[in-house]
Amino acid sequence: MIEYHDVYKTFDVPVLAGVSFRVESGETLAVVGPSGTGKSVLLKTTIGLIVPDRGDVIIDGQSVFSATPDELQAIRRKAGYVFQNAALFDSMNVFENVAYGLPEGALKKLGRREVLRRVVRALEDVNLDPAVVLPKLPAELSGGMRKRVGLARAIVGEPQILLYDEPVTGLDPVNAAAVDRLICDIADRTHVTSIVVTHDIEGGLSISDRVALLEGGKLRFLGTPDEFRRSTDPLVRAFADRKAAVEAAMAGSARAGRLAEEKSAALP
Amino acid sequence: MVRAIGRVGVTIARHAGGMGLLAWRTVSALFTGQVSFREFLYQLYAMGVQSLPLVLVTSILSGVVTSQQGGYQFTGSIPLYVLGSVVTSSVVLELGPVLTAVVVIGRVGARITAELGTMQVSEQIDALYSLGRDPVKVLAAPRILAGMPAMVLLVGIANLVGVLAGMLAARLTVGLGHATFLYGARLFWHSYDFFYSEMKAWVFGFIIPLISVHMGLLTRGGAEGVGRSTTSSVVFMIIAVLVADAMFPPLFLN
Repeated sequence: MIEYHDVYKTFDVPVLAGVSFRVESGETLAVVGPSGTGKSVLLKTTIGLIVPDRGDVIIDGQSVFSATPDELQAIRRKAGYVFQNAALFDSMNVFENVAYGLPEGALKKLGRREVLRRVVRALEDVNLDPAVVLPKLPAELSGGMRKRVGLARAIVGEPQILLYDEPVTGLDPVNAAAVDRLICDIADRTHVTSIVVTHDIEGGLSISDRVALLEGGKLRFLGTPDEFRRSTDPLVRAFADRKAAVEAAMAGSARAGRLAEEKSAALP
Repeated sequence: MVRAIGRVGVTIARHAGGMGLLAWRTVSALFTGQVSFREFLYQLYAMGVQSLPLVLVTSILSGVVTSQQGGYQFTGSIPLYVLGSVVTSSVVLELGPVLTAVVVIGRVGARITAELGTMQVSEQIDALYSLGRDPVKVLAAPRILAGMPAMVLLVGIANLVGVLAGMLAARLTVGLGHATFLYGARLFWHSYDFFYSEMKAWVFGFIIPLISVHMGLLTRGGAEGVGRSTTSSVVFMIIAVLVADAMFPPLFLN
């Protein structure tokens, strides 16, 4: 279980302003909200990549920010983190990148054959052909493949928690749907606790048990996808109903009005 | 004015504190056996062997130029065998260590800052943390520890090559024979000079990777940030090396 207690963080402006909620074990939570509202910062505070000005994160009863360096490393080893741009190590090939997700010294302890077996399994789990991608460098992969390799690196160590930072941003709809499907499959198969920061509302609603909406550094909404869709909160409505949001944003635009008139004139 | 001086003081203190901590963690990693020997050897190769061609060029040129200028000034006024001493002392005490340091700053220090800076802005450093690895042990320590032996070897070679080039140039420009050049070199030679030169190499070999790693890990703000921190890193390294160089004579030559 992950608990956020009154988390505050300010860079030049306040980014998180007292966020408190908890994510149950085995649950998948989608975190949505306007850009720059602290979603990724919240995700990074989860394993101490960003230290909050105030507040704490508790993982399975262990405080992240009171932990000793060794305890913090142990907490981080429980979690897999999928970065927005995959954050693959440029100088390593795909095999080395994914194998890096195993605990330190795995090559010595497990042997090269076992490490290779686990890396191949992780790559197959994310629908990549190991024979094709294993020797490639990150620069030789497409954006979608890089994201999947990043996901393989996050799951190869069989973490209890998976943190996804905008896993489908920059992907075409087909690849985005495939990554969403992977997130669901991994959650179903391993019962891992997942937090998915996303701008893709439909994808987020379809993969999550609950949805959190952050706005202005505060938690504006927390509930199931059904509750999110039925909410009367104007901001939640704007996120839940993309068509309405687009129409509201376009209201008053001369070009949008002209296009709408042309469209209606073209109707029989 | 006072505020500006205060800001500079705070910045210097912050950097000094950061580098002190980095040095301490590097030493801790060394004594707890957490530094990859393979990565250390690779960095030794990258800093030492790969810098050798450029170091050879600068040391040859520094020996030749010192010899030519000395020959020009001494001809007709001072016995020419003194040229052997002047070239040897200039190269070993000053030109060898400092010019090698400048080459290593440009070739290795800038690369380390740009490399780690790029890793920082592309979240690769965060990825290391998230995978339970300590970037100081994985990235910083091998680079900082390899810098010292690499510089000691490079300066040793630069000194030898610089003196030999100076000796050859003395023969070609002012007709000073090798035996006379070596006579002059031995006349004022102290064995301590060699250790003095290598002490400088050791200190420069610590300063250069320490600053470059520190600045790389502090990088923020995308490609522009990488460029900015690389430039700042090169400036800091040159200033630090020259300040350390200026502190050597009063501390170790009196």
